[in-house]
Amino acid sequence: MSEDLLARITESIVGGEPESVVALTRKALESGLQPLEIINQGLVAGMNIAGERFTRGEFFLPHLLIAAKGMQGAMELLEPELGARQQVHEAVGTVVIGTVLGDIHEIGKSLVGTMLSANGFKVYDLGVDVPKEDFVARVKETGADLLGLSALLTTTMIGQREVIEAIVQAGIRDQVKVIVGGAPVSQAWADEIGADAYAANAMDAVEVARRVLM
Amino acid sequence: MSKKSSSVPEYFHVDFEPIGRRVENNAGKTLLAAAQTAGVQLVSLCGGVGSCNSCRVRLVSGELSTPTREEQDALGADDLAKGYRLACQAIPLTDVKIDIPPESLTAPQRLQIEGQETFIEPDPVVTAFDVQLAPPTLDDLRSDVARIRQVLDDLGIACPVIRLPVLEGLSGRLRAQSWTARLVLRGDEVIAGLPQDSDLLGLAVDVGTTKLAAYLVDLEKGNTLAKTGRMNPQISYGEDVVSRIAYTINNEEGRKLFQAKLVEAINDMLAELHNQTSTSSEQVVEAVVVGNTAMHHLFAGLPVRQLGEAPYVPAVADPMDIPASEIGLALAPGAYVHLPPNIAGYVGADHVAMLLATDVWDSARTVLALDIGTNTEISLATGGRLLSCSCASGPAFEGAHIHDGMRAAPGAIERVQIVDGEVRVHTIGSQPAVGICGSGILDAIAEMVAAGVIDSRGKLQKDNPLVREEDGVVEFLLMPAESAGHERDVIVTQKDVSEVQLAKGAIRAGIEILLEAAGVAHDAIEEFIVAGAFGTYLDIRSAVRVGMFPTLPVDRFRQVGNAAGTGARQMLISAERRQATAEIVRRVEYIELTTHPNFTNEFIKAMSF
Ligand code: B1M
Repeated sequence: MSEDLLARITESIVGGEPESVVALTRKALESGLQPLEIINQGLVAGMNIAGERFTRGEFFLPHLLIAAKGMQGAMELLEPELGARQQVHEAVGTVVIGTVLGDIHEIGKSLVGTMLSANGFKVYDLGVDVPKEDFVARVKETGADLLGLSALLTTTMIGQREVIEAIVQAGIRDQVKVIVGGAPVSQAWADEIGADAYAANAMDAVEVARRVLM
Repeated sequence: MSKKSSSVPEYFHVDFEPIGRRVENNAGKTLLAAAQTAGVQLVSLCGGVGSCNSCRVRLVSGELSTPTREEQDALGADDLAKGYRLACQAIPLTDVKIDIPPESLTAPQRLQIEGQETFIEPDPVVTAFDVQLAPPTLDDLRSDVARIRQVLDDLGIACPVIRLPVLEGLSGRLRAQSWTARLVLRGDEVIAGLPQDSDLLGLAVDVGTTKLAAYLVDLEKGNTLAKTGRMNPQISYGEDVVSRIAYTINNEEGRKLFQAKLVEAINDMLAELHNQTSTSSEQVVEAVVVGNTAMHHLFAGLPVRQLGEAPYVPAVADPMDIPASEIGLALAPGAYVHLPPNIAGYVGADHVAMLLATDVWDSARTVLALDIGTNTEISLATGGRLLSCSCASGPAFEGAHIHDGMRAAPGAIERVQIVDGEVRVHTIGSQPAVGICGSGILDAIAEMVAAGVIDSRGKLQKDNPLVREEDGVVEFLLMPAESAGHERDVIVTQKDVSEVQLAKGAIRAGIEILLEAAGVAHDAIEEFIVAGAFGTYLDIRSAVRVGMFPTLPVDRFRQVGNAAGTGARQMLISAERRQATAEIVRRVEYIELTTHPNFTNEFIKAMSF
């Protein structure tokens, strides 16, 4: 029964039914399943399948966004439970991510965040329109290994450089790898501003994150 | 009936509306043949064999041959009952009047200058007085200006202001014109001293991010004398508004350069308009320029940096009157350029002009109006409210970021049909295909969805015979190299599909959010107005089929061409219309999508087919 529930959560993630993902997650909690089990064997399993299909060219942006929406909805239920039970997610790395100051484009950044967390990273998502000081403070506070900066506007890309300069000034440049992304961003831009890596899409971001931490 | 008096007439007159082309068509020849003779560009995808319905026209008056089998199949009883026929099948039996629906018409000219003529009572902001001045003599040594003051005083106009640019030419003119003149006043200012009886002209310009449109208007009669268009010369510095703003941030001289480029292009169009009408720049005593907020600012030489960074506020939203001489526009030396108000950083004076021209703003009905561009402005009038938003739809419909995308120019595929697994295209100017423009990519995607080539999430179906996989890239063949003008395949890639999904998703999400904010159901939309260049040529049925527009009866949609240009012309000839814009901006409730909690949901939903 409980295994069946987890499998159905996975299916609903892959099948693009975010409402049933949330409903099933609630049911799973009520039936006594552990939040971590639900995350790893239900949600993450589903996101991984969706991610693989995306990489293979079988899934497209809408699939991935809808899958991520299910995962995000379920996590809203699960996070408080995790906290209450003082369970921690074993993480392959800790990421602070956000969209830079002046820019509110959130969809791409959140997708990257979701894929990273589905792949075992502990993700602190600072949201959008994030001032450089906040990035610096949160990296220090969480001891993050990775800093992800998203920018969708030609006019706000410059914010990625400013954040990098700020972490240099704060003396923590060596502690954290910086990944940049977003539609107008390129490898050349990443090189120019001294980022450690550029990622073209959410799945690429997972690859790149693993690579830079090796 | 034709003028021939014999019992079997040799030809009939065919009157094509709304373009007003009339042609003599030999008896027995189809309407399509008549259109070809007239140079009226009807879409004919199947090549005139009656197997598609792209040349659908409507009989307004007169008599046509009975509908053929093909017509019955392609049109159905409903359409036939309404008078719709296929031009390639129907043969006139009497003189006929034919209405060509916009989707059946393909015009070679793709500059954004077509717009509806205005029927507004002229009441311009300038007035003219034909005067006779007393010439100076040794006994009358008053200055030239004192003489002008005198005649105006006699007419009951006190203490006019005359600025330096006007003064510079005035003395010579008065003498050359034997002390007669047509004094042009704007408020309490004398702005020109033309030869008596000169026509007073005005210039209306729509400064689009991509295209410019200019109209030369008779200020007293209100009619448009000539119009022309150009590409916006700033394009080479950035495709969209934000890239241009970025350019001015990174290049100090950028702002000045952009203003100079615009002014130069407008002067260039003016010269062409004068040529067409045998008029001169001195007669152009007033101008109205509309554009999106960034174009407005760049034209006026205002800073734009704050438009490129959150929270995107305009430097100026109020209406402005700028002396033409200050920015180098080649009008009468004392002329002013009126810039109507902006609504927000991404909803500019062009949208205000569009709302004015279409009367959306004071409509008692529920009307939705939008202008699709890289930023799509949308307004909804309902129950006395007027709600507006701007959604960032991106440049897919301008052909950018599309594998074989191009702007609407000769050789661009603008219509696509897939009939029984066979792809039919129509190109602009009927030239060999070299790429796809916005209306073409929209059609292509709509047809691909209908034909099951792509599924509801936008995935190309590899098992479909029209889809191929080459080097791991899945693509749809629109036109094989043999038939293309540049001997390369014209294709639609998976990425193209995604780009269209992003664009149409953003537009639909904006529409949904406005409807939701006003508590209006789709069905309650009584009229759906589509303005702008792409909006003129897109096939409404395709836009509905891909889900960019809500499903409504086709007759609720109205494609109005360059309504911003029409609004600019109205403001040019009518002070009252100009004042109405203040009311428009006062009433608009601007909905900011950037902070709207539902946007993302609606957007993701609207990306599917
Ligand atoms: C850390 O490491 C990484 C690694 C990879 C990373 C990464 C970080 N971040 C992203 N990636 C990468 O992975 C992601 C997943 O694969 C990808 O993320 P993307 O974000 O690229 O992809 C998303 C999954 C889907 N894509 C998107 O979500 C963006 C789509 C488009 C349509 C778009 C949207 C939806 C929106 N917009 Co905006 N918007 C456009 C876009 C035009 C288009 N057709 O693409 C764009 C980006 N917008 C633009 C503009 C101008 C604006 N927008 C604005 C507003 C909005 C909406 C609110 C309407 C909405 C955002 C909603 C939201 N909450 O996010 C305004 C500003 C907002 C602001 N303050 O920042 C406004 C300024 C104007 C306006 N009309 O309001 C344009 C930028 C042009 C330019 N040259 O810079 C634009 C290209 C459209 C256009 N007009 O041409 C990769 O880039």
